[in-house]
Formats: sequence, C-alpha cells, structure tokens
Amino acid sequence: MKTKKKGGKWLSVWKARYLYFLLAPLVIWLTVFSYVPMYGILLAFKKYNARLGILGSPWVGLAHFRRMFVTPAALQAVVNTFEISIGRLIFEFPIAIIIAILITEMRGKRVKKIYQTIYTFPHFLSWIVVANIVTNFLASDGAVNMLLQNLGIARVDFLASKSFFRPLLYITSNWKEAGWSAIIYMAAIAGIDPTLYEAARVDGASRMRQIWHITLPGIKTTIAVMFILAVGGMLNAGFDQIFNLSNNVVKDVGQILDTYIYDITFLSSPDYGFSTAVGLFKAVVNFFMLVAANQIVYKLTGERMFG
Amino acid sequence: MSKATKIHIKQKKRKWDLFDVVTAILMTLLAVIIFVPFWNAVVISLETTAAYGRNPFSWLPGEFTLDNYLYLLKSSSGLIMAYQSTIVITVVGTVLAMLVTVMAAYAFSRSFPGKKFFFMYMVFTMFFGGGLIPTYLMLKGMGLLNTYSAVVLLGLVSAYNVIIMKNGFESAPVDLQDAAMIDGANDIQIFWKVMLPLQKPLIATFALFNAVGYWNTWYWPLILLNGNNKTVLQLFLRSLVNNMSFMNHSKASMSADLTSSFSQGIKMAAVFVTMLPIMLVYPFLQKYFVKGIMVGAVKM
Repeated sequence: MKTKKKGGKWLSVWKARYLYFLLAPLVIWLTVFSYVPMYGILLAFKKYNARLGILGSPWVGLAHFRRMFVTPAALQAVVNTFEISIGRLIFEFPIAIIIAILITEMRGKRVKKIYQTIYTFPHFLSWIVVANIVTNFLASDGAVNMLLQNLGIARVDFLASKSFFRPLLYITSNWKEAGWSAIIYMAAIAGIDPTLYEAARVDGASRMRQIWHITLPGIKTTIAVMFILAVGGMLNAGFDQIFNLSNNVVKDVGQILDTYIYDITFLSSPDYGFSTAVGLFKAVVNFFMLVAANQIVYKLTGERMFG
Repeated sequence: MSKATKIHIKQKKRKWDLFDVVTAILMTLLAVIIFVPFWNAVVISLETTAAYGRNPFSWLPGEFTLDNYLYLLKSSSGLIMAYQSTIVITVVGTVLAMLVTVMAAYAFSRSFPGKKFFFMYMVFTMFFGGGLIPTYLMLKGMGLLNTYSAVVLLGLVSAYNVIIMKNGFESAPVDLQDAAMIDGANDIQIFWKVMLPLQKPLIATFALFNAVGYWNTWYWPLILLNGNNKTVLQLFLRSLVNNMSFMNHSKASMSADLTSSFSQGIKMAAVFVTMLPIMLVYPFLQKYFVKGIMVGAVKM
C-alpha cells in the first residue's frame, strides 16, 4: 500500500482524511480532559495561589513530597493502601477464577444461566446502592444480627468495628464484582480445545486433575494479564467502596490514598499543591508497579501484556 | 459440530459424582448469599415500621404497605428533580459517548498514517492522568463547575470500550468494505452504511453499558454540583441516608427505635427506586455481554 513516490506520505494522509475526521472527536476529548489536566501536575511542585494561577504560582521544589513523608496521616494512608490491595490480591483475585471454573463445571444448563444472572447483577449497581444494601443487612439491628441472636451468639457491630472492616471490604467486593470478573475467565475456558478434556477422560483423569492440567494452563494468559492489571492498579485500592462504607470509627484501618486526598482537599482548608503531590505520587507508583508486574510475570511465565 | 454434540450427550448420560454435588451446593450457596440481601431490602421497603421492628428479616412483608414509597414521592421533592437530571444526563451522555466511541473505533480498525501514535495517545490515558485537583481547576477555568455538562463530558470516553469496539470492527469481513470502496463510497459512507449496521449488537451492548455508567455516576457530581438546586439520583440517595442517620442521632434520646425503623423502610424504598431502571435493562444487557464484550477483550 505504501507509495514510495515523493509526497506519497501526504497522499496517503489525504486519502485517509475521512478517517481523521472520525477520529477527531476522540483526540480532542483526550487532549482536553486527559492531557490538559496533566499540565496541572506542575502544582505538585508549587505553592498554589488562586490569584496567580497554576503557571504564576511560586515553585517550592519537592517540599510537598517531603511533607508527605513526614505526615503520619499520609504515611498511614500509603500503608493502608498497600495492605488493602495485597489483601484484595489474596482474597478477591482468585475467587473470580474459582467461580468461573465452578460455573463451567456445573451441571444443568438452565440453573447455570439463572445463577449467572444473579452473580453478575450487583456489578451494575453503584457502590452507593450496594453500601446501603450491605449496611441494612449487617446493621446492629439488621438481618444477620437477628440470625446471630437466634443462634444464641452475641450481636456484632460489623460496620463500626476496626477488626471487621477489612474482611468486610473483601467480602462485599466479592459479593459485588466476583461474578462479573469471572466472565472473562469463562470466555477463556470456553476457548480451550474440548478434545483435550475428552482425551483426559479416556485416560481416566479425575475432574480435579482435568482442572489442574487442562483448564488452568488453558487460561494462563488471561490470568497473567488480569494479574498485571490488578498490580498496576494497586494504589487505587477501591475508593468508591471505601468512601461509601467507612466511618470515623474505622478510619485508621480504612483510610487509603484516594480517600486521604479527598479529605485534605474537600474537608479541611485545602492545599491544592499538597493534594496534587499526593495524587502524583500515587499515579507514578501505580505506573511503575504496572511495568514491574509486566516484567516479573513475563520472566516467570513467558506471558505479558505489553512490551 | 458433531464431536461437540457427542460430548454433550455423553455428559448428559454421566451420573452425578461427588464433584458435581459439591459444585452444585457451593454455587447454590453463592446465589443465595447474593440474592438474600437484595430481597431483604425489597421486603423492608414494603413493610410497616412495626413489622420491621419486630423482625428485620422475613421472606414476605410482615404488614404490607406502600407508605415508604409515598413518603419518598410526597415529602421529598428532591427525588423528582434527581430523577429528571439523571435521565437527561444518561440520555445525552450515552448518545454522545456512543458517537465518539464508535467513530474512533472504526477509524482505528482501518490503517492510516499516524495510527500507532494516536492509539498510544489514547492508551497512555488508561494508566496515567492529571488527577483530581488539576481536573477540577481546569473545569473551573472553563466555567463548568456546578453544571451537568461537566458530568456528561467527564464520563464520555473509555479507552477500554474503544479498544473492544475496534476489535469488533476488525473481525468484520473485509470484502464488504472493499466492494463498497470499488463502488466509490468514501470512508464515512462505508462506516455509516456498511459497518454500523453490522455491529448493531455490539453497539447496543455498549450503549447500555454507557447508560448504566451515567445512571450510577456520583463522584464528579459530588464534587461539582452544589447539591441544593442540582443533584443526581445517586447523590440524592446518599444525602437522604446521611440526613436520616443524622436525624436519628439527634432524636436518639427520645424514641430511637421508632425513627430508625421508620427511616429504614424509606431508605430501602430509595434504594429500590434507584436501582429499578437497572433491573429493567439488565435482561437486555445480559443477553449480549458474554459473547459481545469478551471477544478479544484482553487483546490490545
């Protein structure tokens, strides 16, 4: 297709003019809503003054970052963010894979369909709605506590207890998202050559052995990609969920970087420079985690997402 | 095909073993765990205060009433306003989002000079962004604080959707495009008359996804809208619940039981009206998302 004539490049640009026209809205949107705000990152190195604007405000170098590393609340948020994200990798990441395998192994086509309908539905609700449903169900005078009482067990205040808060995050997150996350693995399992299972059955392999030796290797790539993405989003840790489920009692164990940024920006007298610096720290670490996870997974399994 | 059906018949004949039983029990348990909290909320929204006070969990409303819903409609004008604004945001946002997404996805499915650059230009934003304050200050500079337009614009594009859509277009037969090209159609005509009709299921699915996204939006509205004269449905629910807990708190000394259980029914009624539209479109969503969305979803 490439013309080697002089001016051939411009000819092919001209030929593709309609394609550029179709692409234009996206490029304009990306520029305005993703790239223009990136110049605001300068604030992380400035003392923001509304009158002087972003460019006019005086530089402060790395002062905001230094402040972050001596502010106990900020450090606490960093530690919590990592702990909660690692908790999610342990208690949430494998659940979707297990559900996907069990659904495909399950008997009964119609029941399977009904169950899947139930499993995926909560994904389409906001965390505001889900938090209300969860809060209602687990409240000190709610359904679960009534059951505990009837069983002769003392009532528990699940929502305002430091020791229950993180398990609550993992459980409710699984409740909302595990069924949805399973879909991508189910699609991968559906792509495995069925004759492999047939041959294994002829050889007398048990169902567990089939899962271990055929299903899991068959979805290795998908698992690797999802793992890389999960690690690359490590510093996000689930703002929507935590913002809607947490309260002052559990702040110590539930404050993550995103909720911390929200608090210092909107609840007290804001320092936009400092808030931006914390946000930038988060974005940069996330980005490096993504690249590192990609490399490590590649070294270990030969699978990678990019590069 | 015949091989697959043979396997299928074999599976049907196979007797249930321990593995099947355990799987069936686990899956049923999971379905119950997900379903029961929903049902609990719906039942509470349909029963009287007294019935809830006696028993916070029953399979059917203890004493049936619609008072909670009537209260929501009558004494909080905010609900109607929130519903209206959310519908407008959802409709306008979905139409615009689909236009931008589909057009870009089609362009990316073809080849043209600079394609790689523009693609990376988009993919980079999936992993890196300006963050909260810079975006907020930019919107302020554009005079978009406290506007619904900002809410619509901020949620317009998901690079992820563009990529999946692009894969959809790429899987369409090339002959059709070539034939149209020979007939003298330009890229826009091919896109509009040949490719779009082919991708109807995928487009319908994404339209629904976008609509659900806008329906559920609350983060930027929380930051941008001032709440008194502008709000969205999700925030209405949030503030209703927060105000009620506050109310209960201040009245705690007087009649804690009464207020808390009274508000519980109203809260759950608000939860139900917020998720009702999602429940209505869900069957249509579900029809497509397994095959439509996940085809090559992982592939960049």
